[in-house]
Amino acid sequence: MTDTAAPTPAAPAASAAGNMRPPSRWSLAGREIGRAVVALLVALVATLIIIFFVSKSPVEALGTLLTAPFSKVRTIGTWADEAAKLTVTGLAFGLVFQARQFALGVQGQVYLGALAATYVALSPIGSTPLGMPIAVLAAMVVGGIYGFLPGIAKAKLGANEIVSTLMLNYIAIEIVNYVILHGMAKAGLNYTDNFPATSMLPVLVDRTRIDLGLVFAIVAVLATWFALYRTSWGLKLRLVGHNPRFAEYAGIRSNVIMVSAMTVSGALGGLLGSMLVQGQAFGKLQVLFEGGFAFEGVLVAIVARNRPLAVPIVAMFYAYLRQGAQLMNIRTDVPAEVISVVAALIILLVASQFGLPAWIKRGVMRNRAGATR
Amino acid sequence: MNELLLTIFSAAFLATVIRTSTPLLLATLGGLVADLSGALNVALDGIMLIGCLSAVIASHYAPWYVGVLAGIGAGAVVGVIMAFFHLRMKADVVIVGFAINALAVGGTVFALSIATGGDKGTSINLPSGAVPAVDLSFLGVIPGVGPVLVAIFSGHSLLSWVAALLVFVVWYFLYRTPWGLWLRAVGEYPAAPEAAGIPVNTVRLWALIVSGALAGLAGAQLAMFNFIGFTAGMTSGRGFIALGAVLLGARHPVGVLFAAVLFGAFDGLTTVLPSLYDWIPPELIRMIPFSVTIIALLLFSYRAQRALALRGVKA
Repeated sequence: MTDTAAPTPAAPAASAAGNMRPPSRWSLAGREIGRAVVALLVALVATLIIIFFVSKSPVEALGTLLTAPFSKVRTIGTWADEAAKLTVTGLAFGLVFQARQFALGVQGQVYLGALAATYVALSPIGSTPLGMPIAVLAAMVVGGIYGFLPGIAKAKLGANEIVSTLMLNYIAIEIVNYVILHGMAKAGLNYTDNFPATSMLPVLVDRTRIDLGLVFAIVAVLATWFALYRTSWGLKLRLVGHNPRFAEYAGIRSNVIMVSAMTVSGALGGLLGSMLVQGQAFGKLQVLFEGGFAFEGVLVAIVARNRPLAVPIVAMFYAYLRQGAQLMNIRTDVPAEVISVVAALIILLVASQFGLPAWIKRGVMRNRAGATR
Repeated sequence: MNELLLTIFSAAFLATVIRTSTPLLLATLGGLVADLSGALNVALDGIMLIGCLSAVIASHYAPWYVGVLAGIGAGAVVGVIMAFFHLRMKADVVIVGFAINALAVGGTVFALSIATGGDKGTSINLPSGAVPAVDLSFLGVIPGVGPVLVAIFSGHSLLSWVAALLVFVVWYFLYRTPWGLWLRAVGEYPAAPEAAGIPVNTVRLWALIVSGALAGLAGAQLAMFNFIGFTAGMTSGRGFIALGAVLLGARHPVGVLFAAVLFGAFDGLTTVLPSLYDWIPPELIRMIPFSVTIIALLLFSYRAQRALALRGVKA
């Protein structure tokens, strides 16, 4: 544990430096970053311990985990692609979390969005130049509708959104299974025909998976940030999330905000669905193509504290870890699932209000030299 | 349609319902205890999964009751972990629940692969013990109803009877003991018991431990009776359905019993429908429990809201 102490105070101190006025946003940001860094370090130490217990060649396994994603152009491409997709699911979760709705429906929106995109891509429209944008739009609309449903159920009836969204996820998965296995796919296959090239997201970097989805992710980050921090809708949404009763007294119709937040988040989920099936990784709709990926957005959103601009940074770190774990799974004897242990640990530590042990906090305070109380 | 009705009202189907309801009921009771203490236990599904794996691994090396105890113990340990992060580290309990679910989904596959030397997904190389069935065939001597009683009630897991007993135990605890009052008070309005000198956080700690233990027991039943052995993601959302059952059961042990049996009945339906109607696609049949949960949730929320409106409370 002692080895984690040295690097931690550095991060908050660096961002707090030259900023002596008390409640500055930089020192607050520093504290958040400090907590995230501590969580990451503790998680890495935990990974180290697990790998040393599990693996016959721990050094090689750890080396693969930490360096392999950067070893080839192709793996860097996979990393960037995964980071883009993690960013979108992180944004979708972050948006509803900011409104203090624990809606977990991104998975279902991904499936139904992907289904909508597939219908467009495999229809005659899919073979025209308009195929790609229309498919993406269709996915976002359907995802938005699937996000709207639990929202309106909560607003009108008070139906718990955790339960309703989780059930809708399972239903969406079965709908997609049904459509693929009874109609779309040729008999005996569990995937559809390949999409025509005009419906695929174009490749940006040759011989990698980096495609237009990366641009979509960047646009989504900027748009979400703008909507949350530069529009009155965003202000209301954050107010509702911070203090619903105050928002109500201030004359904000919190139900409208809540439903719209869940709808927009649903549209982001639909976008992710289209990015997955129209992207270079798939190019077709397949049974269970998502494999629980959407839920990784919970970690991204929580570590990024639901802040849109922090989401891509966290997504890049986490995508790197996931890629490393995949390669470690292939090349060494450590199963990739080790990453879920690490992920759970990171979520728990970051969500903890007092994530920093007392002795680290003292160190941070000393370094700040009275900059804050 | 006739065959369906005949099947549903047959003794064999009622026996199936008891069987499918048992893990749901155990998990729902766990959710109820946590919910009444003021902590929504989203991790029920994950704890069940951890309970399944612990029970399978322990029962491979030891008698069946050790497996069941391992399931309970693993669930209780997860409860302690949740309580630590929720109460001590002040993390939101729903987020802690997410984390536990994430841990369970991958962690069980990881642990299974370590325990069996590379198997992923199923514990086929790790034969599990089974919870013994309770033989009640002596009821058959009762004239008239004897054979029917045997068909319905004989041959169930010991844990089914434990679950039925636990409904009563939980009810007695909640409504007839001072600790039950404490627990409900803590969930209702923590400031009041705090002022009365009741250790609020200790109550919450124990509620989460019991909740975890019950969900772990549900996992043991699932992996050592309903199915024998572990499969990745074998709970298939039962923990989340249990969460819905807590709400649907109006947060009362008896209500929760009915909700769990209702969902158990539809779960049972998914096992008998394929043999009756082979033209119904399996995907649609698998959708039934989830759709029913949503519909029940909507109806219940609607009723609850109307009840509030009638009493003049603004929802």
